[in-house]
Amino acid sequence: MDLYFKALGMHIKTSCEYKLSSIINFIAQFFVMFSDYFIIIALFSKFGNIKGFTLYEILLCYSIIQLGYSINDVFFKGLDDFSDIIINGMFDRLLVRPRSLLIQILASKVSLVRTSRIIQCIGIMIYSIINLDLELNLIKVIVLLLMIIGSVVIFFSILLLMSGLSFFTVQGLEIKSLFTYGGKQIAQYPIAIFKKYIVLFFTFVIPYGLVNYYPYLYFLGRNDNVFYAFAPLGTLIFLGISLVVFKLSSNKYVSTGS
Amino acid sequence: MSFIDVNHLSKTFKVAKRNSGLKAALKSFVNRKYVSIDAVKDVSFKINKGEIVGYIGPNGAGKSTTIKMLCGILKPDSGSISINHMSPFEERKKFVKDIGVVFGQRSQLWWDIPAEDTFDLLKVIYKIDDKEYLETKNKLVEMLDIKDVIKMPVRQLSLGQRMRCEIAASLLHKPSILFLDEPTIGLDAVSKEKVRNFIIEINKKYKTTVILTSHDMNDIEALANRIILIGRGSKLFDGTLNDLKAKFGNCRKVTIITNDTLKKFNKKGVCKRTKTDIGYEFIIDINLISISSFVNYVGEYVDISDIDIDSDNIDNLIIKLYQEYNI
Repeated sequence: MDLYFKALGMHIKTSCEYKLSSIINFIAQFFVMFSDYFIIIALFSKFGNIKGFTLYEILLCYSIIQLGYSINDVFFKGLDDFSDIIINGMFDRLLVRPRSLLIQILASKVSLVRTSRIIQCIGIMIYSIINLDLELNLIKVIVLLLMIIGSVVIFFSILLLMSGLSFFTVQGLEIKSLFTYGGKQIAQYPIAIFKKYIVLFFTFVIPYGLVNYYPYLYFLGRNDNVFYAFAPLGTLIFLGISLVVFKLSSNKYVSTGS
Repeated sequence: MSFIDVNHLSKTFKVAKRNSGLKAALKSFVNRKYVSIDAVKDVSFKINKGEIVGYIGPNGAGKSTTIKMLCGILKPDSGSISINHMSPFEERKKFVKDIGVVFGQRSQLWWDIPAEDTFDLLKVIYKIDDKEYLETKNKLVEMLDIKDVIKMPVRQLSLGQRMRCEIAASLLHKPSILFLDEPTIGLDAVSKEKVRNFIIEINKKYKTTVILTSHDMNDIEALANRIILIGRGSKLFDGTLNDLKAKFGNCRKVTIITNDTLKKFNKKGVCKRTKTDIGYEFIIDINLISISSFVNYVGEYVDISDIDIDSDNIDNLIIKLYQEYNI
């Protein structure tokens, strides 16, 4: 991890080299996501609620998923752009260094201007919780934290899994967008509002449901099942599988001769 | 056992075969045919500690593939590599601590910030302790004359300055083997000289083993006391430069300036002929044809307005060598 933090410092230094563009991007990133929220608000002013979920409940769910996504986008950008590392031959360089490949990949790229998204997500999260009029106790705070961590873990695992596959396909996979952007679009809402098979898919295949649905019911006080509360821990299984896939494929990888 | 011991090394690549055009591209998408290419075929050699070895061959001969296998980036299909009693591919993390790699065409320096920052990152990567790091860094900076250079953002450096920083970066952890893949590519004469002198110096001072690939034969001439020539994946020659010259050093490059056109001819001893804007270039073998009889011969057909004879140049030697082995 010392390596990652050292590299983080260097990425900050790089951003400082291009002061104006960094500031503009920082602000732009902040506004990019606002449009999403406006749509939700417009939707609710028309319909009042979606399958029993109110505006602030949806906003909170939305911000938790967005937060997990944004944290990955800022700090683990190297993994997102991993296919570039393979294509431009940077991967060979990583192989001649005595450190784990994953740490080196993560250290290779950070997108600091997108921290504005993280700030925004946290803001909306706090705003929604205040408006939700919930009784917060210690367990609920823990569940909320678990949901956030689970959300980070899921997006990280998807990126890792896709990076593992890009050893073979070399070209970046559009299927990644299907799971990250597409999945994100769906997961921003509690999955219960969708059809049954979608719920099953996002519980057992890509476990978004373990983050934004089961524990969320507990958090909102609609369900007392303790398993529901600690469901986000299940995402660790997904992470484990992704790690194994990544490890196996990086061992199999053969670089080209030129 | 030698320091570097390579035995019967082979590597084959599968390359998708396709013809040009959209139709062929679509066809290959559905039914792709693969061709096996033997990038490296049964190559063996031994290198002792402290040697500087020039690893040469034309483009696509298998140089980079061999270097990649020696660095542990690529896994050999068959054969074995033992470097300092380690197998590069099997014990990657342990092995790479002891090697330095410079890819002339690929930078490892961070583009937007000073090279010194990359050095600091490498200190963390290789877990070098503070005192040792400072000592090595100062020494390298002094030897390569880059004291002020490393404080500037890399994007503002000249190619020569950048390459010197690049070399310093790959030596911070004091590796006992240095791989240089075209270290002087695109450099001017002065920078080349600086890089060469530095390589000789560290080799003398620290007994660093250097394996060097280059297309610049002057690099090889200045640095390598031993040459391994590879062509079409096979080792063709292994020995000193003097051996090589004794064997093939009878070539001369003859440049003939003329306005006339010369029709094709076959004459013993003429190895290569190229048409230039102002005339022709020949490589001739003086054991088979003397300069005077060659000039007389050509003079019968064209009006020679000027002539230049380039003696014992290693480039010519290599061209001749490539031709000899038909690569």
